Amino acid sequence: MNALWALVLNGFRESRRNRVTVVVFLFAFAMIFSATFALEFTVATFARVMTDLGLGVMSLIAVFLAIFLSTALLPREIERRTIFMVASRPISRSLFVVGRYLGTLLTVLFVTLIMAALFLLQMWWEGTPLAHAHFAAIVGVLLEVVVLTAVGFLFATFASQYVAVSATVGFYFLGHLSSDLYRMANRAESAVLGGLGKAAYYLLPNLDRLDFKMRATYLDPTSWSELGLSTAYSLGYAIVVLAVACALFERRDFK
Amino acid sequence: MSSPAIEVEGLTKEYLVGNLRRRRVQALNGLSLTVEPGVIYGLLGPNGAGKSTTIKILLNLVRPSSGKARVFGHEPSSVAARQHTGFLPENPAPYEYLTGREVVTLAAHLGGMSGSAVAPRVGQVLERVGMTGAADLQVRRYSKGMIQRVSLAQALVTEPKLLVLDEPTSGLDVLGRQLVRDIVLEERKRGTTVLFCSHIIPDVESLCDRVAVVIGGKLVREGTVVSLLKNDDALVEATVEGATPEVLAALQPQLKSVEALEGRHLLRFDQHHDHDVLTALLATRARITQLRRTQVTLEELFLKAVHESGQRVGSHIS
Repeated sequence: MNALWALVLNGFRESRRNRVTVVVFLFAFAMIFSATFALEFTVATFARVMTDLGLGVMSLIAVFLAIFLSTALLPREIERRTIFMVASRPISRSLFVVGRYLGTLLTVLFVTLIMAALFLLQMWWEGTPLAHAHFAAIVGVLLEVVVLTAVGFLFATFASQYVAVSATVGFYFLGHLSSDLYRMANRAESAVLGGLGKAAYYLLPNLDRLDFKMRATYLDPTSWSELGLSTAYSLGYAIVVLAVACALFERRDFK
Repeated sequence: MSSPAIEVEGLTKEYLVGNLRRRRVQALNGLSLTVEPGVIYGLLGPNGAGKSTTIKILLNLVRPSSGKARVFGHEPSSVAARQHTGFLPENPAPYEYLTGREVVTLAAHLGGMSGSAVAPRVGQVLERVGMTGAADLQVRRYSKGMIQRVSLAQALVTEPKLLVLDEPTSGLDVLGRQLVRDIVLEERKRGTTVLFCSHIIPDVESLCDRVAVVIGGKLVREGTVVSLLKNDDALVEATVEGATPEVLAALQPQLKSVEALEGRHLLRFDQHHDHDVLTALLATRARITQLRRTQVTLEELFLKAVHESGQRVGSHIS
């Protein structure tokens, strides 16, 4: 087993033993509850409500997990001094960051996939037709998690956990508004404001282009090319953010 | 000729502390030392002397402000510098969600070990530190001494050429301390270089081949334990029976003190006068029943060095 894989598995083991999987069961209960709720109060749009609610809860839990796990890990390693026994080994700090990132990502993706399986199972159980749009929406949630986990790690390399959480949550909301920012920048009368708006658009992750939940609700299909481009975009964004995180972490002192 | 295990030259480290009112703290102030391969090298110093900072720089946990450091000829920032190094930090904190066996296995994998060699080696070091029975319990259930033992095992698992031990006997009972001493001596026999940093001076005195005393981020004494403890101003103590008042009076100029005990005298004199005093005593009917040279201890030497430096203990951050 090489060092990177050892770090990845260690991260996954950490999350598993810290009982993150409880979240999955919470989601399962939420889904069951939502189904009962939907059956009681809907007549003709049952499938839409189910899809909307299921994907929404899944996305919310995945984003919550991605942000809190990614921003907590590095500050906790430094504060508890567990990093001394790992960083003093013959591995680069970049490998450490990448290994820990992949370990966290593996945990969040695992939990998200279990939630997705529950969601699809419930759709099938209720006799709601499954479409390509549903799977595209799930892929979108996974891609969003890839980006947000990387952003969380970036902030955690130089800031405390609280600052890192706040900043990543800020990135999440701004990331969903970045297209609006671009439109506003194009309409801005001031060149400076326009420039700043465009800079923010390129700097922030465009999370709207990874959000296919609404299309799933209305069974509006997402093309393979769009899905491919979104995958390439989110992976590229995550790689760039991680590279910056590694560069910052290489320079950090562990007192 | 092989390169030194550790080379440190003009090393300085300045920390910025405080949030609003940032102030500079000098943790290292031009430290230079060399550790040859195969020796047990002791680092002594009061709290905040810069010992841990030096170790952290060597292990790339902290970057120096200026100066050079080399581990087996490599800069600490290069992975090669840590290829053959095992580290036991002060107050070690292994991942508490792992079992002792998993902690040591992780260290083996991060140290480059793989395949079927890992499990037997992990079992071997766990047995060596007396943790076989508790190896499959999670670290969160360990006592401080057990954590120290498992952390020592993870430092040893890759059979390092350089073993860096920061307060290795801290938190250990008498048996644990003896175990650490035995392991350190075994490692030296194997040819391992050991950098031994401890507040427990008798451990340093009994184990180390060379010792460096670091105070205020500077090297103030360095040498073999024998050379450091060699004392040109040592006194000789002679217990003498039957020394007449006349003989004692004649020797008075050479004696530092004379103490009358029951039926005998305890004479203290400078070692430069030993030949004259002893010859004069033997020429009479006096009988010398005990003769010894007063020996300075490493502890006395350390306290003297601290006193001379004018440093207050704990006046710097560690």
